[in-house]
Amino acid sequence: MPLAKSTADHIKDLAQRYPSKQSAIIPALWAVQHEQGYVTPEAMAEIAEHLGLPASLIEATASFYSMFLTKPEGRHEVVICVNAPCMLRGADEMTAYLGRALGVRDGGTTADGAITWHSTIECLGACGGAPMMQVDHQFEENLTEERIDAIIERLRQPVAVAAPAPAAASERPKRKAPAPRRTRSES
Amino acid sequence: MAAVQTDQVTLTINGQSVTVPKGTLILDAAKKIGIDIPIFCSHPKMAPVAVCRMCLVEVEKLPKLQPACAVYVADGMVVKTTTEQVGKYQKDVLGFLLINHPLDCPICDKGGECPLQDQTYQYGPGASRFDFPKAHFDKSVPLSDKILLDRERCILCWRCTRFSEEISGERELALIQRGTNTIIGTFNDEPAQSNYQGNWTEICPVGALTSRQYRFISRPWDLDRTASICPACSMGCNIQIDARSNRIGRFQSRENVAVDDSWLCDRGRFSFPNFQRQGQERPRVRRNGSLEEVSYEEAIAFTADALKHAGGQVAGWASPADTNEELFLFSRLFREVLKSAHLDHRSGVVADAEPDDIALPIADIERCDQVVVLGGQGVIDAAPVLHLRLFKSERKGVKILKVGVTEGKRALDAIPAEAQAIGILATEADKQAAVDLQAKLAKKVKGSVRRLIVTTGPNGRGAKDLGILPHQGPGYASLNGRAGRGRLQWPGAGVKGLYVHESSPLHGFVPSDAESMWLSTLPLVVFHRFKASPLDEVAHVILPGHAFTEKYGTVTNMEGRVQRIRRGIDAEWVREDWRVLQQVANALGASWAYESVEEITGDLVRELPPYAAVNQEARVLWSEST
Ligand code: SF4
Ligand code: SF4
Ligand code: FES
Ligand code: FES
Repeated sequence: MPLAKSTADHIKDLAQRYPSKQSAIIPALWAVQHEQGYVTPEAMAEIAEHLGLPASLIEATASFYSMFLTKPEGRHEVVICVNAPCMLRGADEMTAYLGRALGVRDGGTTADGAITWHSTIECLGACGGAPMMQVDHQFEENLTEERIDAIIERLRQPVAVAAPAPAAASERPKRKAPAPRRTRSES
Repeated sequence: MAAVQTDQVTLTINGQSVTVPKGTLILDAAKKIGIDIPIFCSHPKMAPVAVCRMCLVEVEKLPKLQPACAVYVADGMVVKTTTEQVGKYQKDVLGFLLINHPLDCPICDKGGECPLQDQTYQYGPGASRFDFPKAHFDKSVPLSDKILLDRERCILCWRCTRFSEEISGERELALIQRGTNTIIGTFNDEPAQSNYQGNWTEICPVGALTSRQYRFISRPWDLDRTASICPACSMGCNIQIDARSNRIGRFQSRENVAVDDSWLCDRGRFSFPNFQRQGQERPRVRRNGSLEEVSYEEAIAFTADALKHAGGQVAGWASPADTNEELFLFSRLFREVLKSAHLDHRSGVVADAEPDDIALPIADIERCDQVVVLGGQGVIDAAPVLHLRLFKSERKGVKILKVGVTEGKRALDAIPAEAQAIGILATEADKQAAVDLQAKLAKKVKGSVRRLIVTTGPNGRGAKDLGILPHQGPGYASLNGRAGRGRLQWPGAGVKGLYVHESSPLHGFVPSDAESMWLSTLPLVVFHRFKASPLDEVAHVILPGHAFTEKYGTVTNMEGRVQRIRRGIDAEWVREDWRVLQQVANALGASWAYESVEEITGDLVRELPPYAAVNQEARVLWSEST
């Protein structure tokens, strides 16, 4: 799916703003994600063309930062911090609980398409409220099993409740089956 | 005492004092006094990144160990590379690198020439302290039809990605994902297009990047290695023929900073299957319409007889992949013995060669301030490693103008009058356009304007130097009206016999339609060659000869550098081509008595003194100006 003209124009404009075109990659990826919900290889190729950079560099950047989604995800995004301070305050238990409560593995999306969760994020700077997670750009701190249950309950509502998160996050459309990507297994 | 300002820095490494220029890396300063610091990511042709941490050393007054590959020397620095702490870190770094490494050395192509294997043996821990299961990644991932990637073996040294960025500039390879998930890949898993992929396999310090052609072919210690020259084009990149049990396993690069700068292109590197020999073969002569096997003696006698019969009306075509020694004898056979000037090595129409065509040596491209590539990609396709030299120059600030052959005007307008040193590159087919542009530029700018004409074949330049041309003798001598006819005129010039000599299927005699007609009516076709070709069908004599990879001699690259090729494969049942040429000449009344290639080289140098350059593998300079 080609990018909307407004997005493409925005990226072309970004290309002029920095002394190095490479600096425009992250804002361009944001623009694409805001429009399409995630960044497809076609969109990466289009960014590359607008910025005059090799496409490999766009994919390298998009795949490096965990906030960029490269496959369709649920309506809501939950990322749970597992860095040291959170870990000391029980992040491992909370992560295990979150997975059980949602019934999918780290990186997966619930069957109803409501929630995608993962733990591939580094310290979010909210260690004071550890353990914590981020729900659609909003911090949820001092997690307990009960609080996790309540948050999941809220997210499962068919209509998103007054989420003060950026428009793009709450409006993220539900996607069809994930596109196949390169695999990696750990055992 | 006041410090004296100099560009030199003196430091101490392991108690030894060493003086090096400012801006030298500790690694290189150590190398200078024979101290070996283990490395993985560092590469002499690429900027330091210090990602593998293998080269950590102690530097006095610095609290932590420093990567020798990325820290520059300073006056009075005291470096230690063999302390207990350094040893412990080396063990630990290797321990980390091996955590997820599959250690499938027994089935890995790199085993036996693998820095990871060698350094683990020399500096590493005897056993792993990691007792969790290893992470698994994809193996044998095709990056292209030439290269396979094993992601488990990759130690993420970034050499391949840096090559792609800093050396070829194509930026096809990238680090995808991050942390322990990091993998090497191409965009969207699309097949890599680069013509320089074989180099990845050589710089990869493990067996992650391997070439399909060499996959499971040999162990390095089973290879016979022969220093030679790439047979595929006129660049003259230095190679090593790696053969196992007398079959070529691969071509590897062999650094010559003046020519290839240690790289090869894929066209050249992967061209070796053209030179594999299929079985033994004997000379044949045509009797009553069919070819019959005979001895060399018989075939030579038959050839001499038939040539004599044809009188002076014989034409000779020698391939631009023949050695200078063969060409020298070929030219003498025609000019002195057969008294014919119908000589050629060309396949098409090209402007006459002149010594000025080599005025710009390959390495000097880096020292120009403007370089015009007249013909753009066409020039690169003719000698692909030129691209790497051009890209390197561009990174150093040389302005590279790639323009079409007919767009010389664009280059002329773009180059400022104050330019100091201008280079023009063009193929021999487009030489005239290069000469015209050169003349115009010389009028416009103050500085020098030099050209380098890309010839055809690994010895196209030698063939011109030695006068395998109908209208020029050895050393570009004029023939004073005794010129013969060129290949394109042979049909219809009353030629009664043709002698074709070739030792490379990449630069063979490929008849045009008109020539095919003519060949089928010729009373005599002598085909002295390595590999069978459609010419066999019209030949009256087939004299088996050696392949480019099976013989000893010299070839001259596009810039006039005479380099040696050597026998990488033994085919002793084949009589040396020069010996056969000599026997044919002697059967026709000559009395040549060469016993070795060296003696022919000696005579060649006596006739063409500039060819003494062969002793230094230097460029043949025809006058002061070149
Ligand atoms: S594939 Fe080889 S060269 Fe490339 S990063 Fe991995 S180990 Fe280094
Ligand atoms: S540039 Fe020419 S000589 Fe060099 S490796 Fe390629 S084909 Fe061979
Ligand atoms: S460690 Fe979790 S927010 Fe800092
Ligand atoms: S060689 Fe120095 S860090 Fe890799």
